[in-house]
Amino acid sequence: MKPPLLDLVRGRTVLFDGAMGTELMARGLGAGTAPELWNVDRPEVVKEIHTAYFEAGADVVSTNSFGGTPLKLAAHGLEGRASELNRAAARLAREAAPGGRYVAGSMGPAGRVLQPQGPATVDELTAAYAAQARALSEGGVDVLIIETQYDLREALAALRGARSVTDLPVFVTMTFSRFPRGYFTIMGDPASRSAAELDRAGAAAVGANCSLTSEQMVGCVAALRTATALPVIAQANAGRPVAGAGGPIVYSQSLEDYVRFVPEIVRAGAGFVGGCCGTTPATIRAMARIIRGKEES
Amino acid sequence: MIKTEILAKMSEAIVAGDRVAARALAEEAVRSGLDLLEVVEQGYVPGIQRVGELWEQGDYFLPELITSAEAMKSAMAALEPELNRTHAGTRMGGKVVIGTVEGDIHDIGKNLVASMLQAGGFEVFDLGADVKLERFIEKAEEVGAGMICLSALLTTTMMAQRRFIALLRDKGLRGKYKVLVGGAPASRTWAEEIGADGYAENAVAAVRLAKSLA
Repeated sequence: MKPPLLDLVRGRTVLFDGAMGTELMARGLGAGTAPELWNVDRPEVVKEIHTAYFEAGADVVSTNSFGGTPLKLAAHGLEGRASELNRAAARLAREAAPGGRYVAGSMGPAGRVLQPQGPATVDELTAAYAAQARALSEGGVDVLIIETQYDLREALAALRGARSVTDLPVFVTMTFSRFPRGYFTIMGDPASRSAAELDRAGAAAVGANCSLTSEQMVGCVAALRTATALPVIAQANAGRPVAGAGGPIVYSQSLEDYVRFVPEIVRAGAGFVGGCCGTTPATIRAMARIIRGKEES
Repeated sequence: MIKTEILAKMSEAIVAGDRVAARALAEEAVRSGLDLLEVVEQGYVPGIQRVGELWEQGDYFLPELITSAEAMKSAMAALEPELNRTHAGTRMGGKVVIGTVEGDIHDIGKNLVASMLQAGGFEVFDLGADVKLERFIEKAEEVGAGMICLSALLTTTMMAQRRFIALLRDKGLRGKYKVLVGGAPASRTWAEEIGADGYAENAVAAVRLAKSLA
């Protein structure tokens, strides 16, 4: 019997996976197709990506359900299939997971701006996340991870929605940028206050993902660390996407440059580390060597 | 109220994102026969410019930007009928067609740019998200726009921005329109590489860029 993920992270740094979307696209997912559709239409591809991350050394993979709230799926006319697509996402990751490894049910933003700046209501968002959390739990995930949140109100609604339907631990990552006065979401939520409020609302772990490079992530983790005693999650981007001359998109941080900051991210207080946009199984393999090499020595 | 006081209040209403006050002041200006061009240029525009500065300093964030843009639009709506009558043909901006490219459903950033452009005096035709490239051209031709703005959030859909420039060239229309690109993966280098006329980092910079090109 494997220990609960929250017990594991008390003893050592735990490694998440890297990007999913770009891996799917590299395998032929067309722009405009909901990635979640492939949980049903091309399950072997999704499973292959999970397997690649597990083989690279990830302790935890996130399910292919980032855009799986019924509200987000509605943009593709797929809201009626939310339950099916999320259950399939969880099942595929579960099947790919070797014994002793973990599956996190990914839930990304619903893509609607909350009132008064936009049309969405907190209740509407809470219900959408609750529906997704239920399906992911039914599919067999170990924890839920609400990701890439840019509005603390939505993150709290998501957390409330998830906790209303399951007893699984719920992790929350938000996406912060560096401003002159510190780390904030585009809605102006400071990293420290976000961590404190999510902690109070019952999150099992809090963190930052996307937007920041691994270098910038160091300071953001430190800011989160001051505000909560919960485990902190850090999943940085590999810099910014850059278009090569007529060629494919590359990210501005090289693999070496990206992983160079991993020890500092851990020292700043991250218990969970992993990648976001621009990271691949090769990134995770390099991170595994750094984290475990250090801990073995 | 003396005029300088009214102009200052207009600016303050925009900075505060106070839609009610912004509109009431605009209506008062129309009623009392003020020079409305002056009202816009010395009252409201300095307000929205200040909002832009506060955003770039990291004091204002999206909510403030959105409420200020809404206040600006509300004031402009009250001024426009009279402004058009008395200053026909002196619109500050120009016509802009904007949308998120085909295959991409993300529209939060694009909506904000559309809103800020409108607040900045442009007449904006927002085609929404997942817009076929041909549709941008059809709309621009139909309304006589001078500028086309393409948004893309994904590295994959960003390629449509490149295809759009090629499409314009194929149709012999490249010289007719200024093309601006934006979205998380876009950059100045990208804009240069694909031969677009400009890229802006955020909605405030987009308005500045559009004004410099209009």
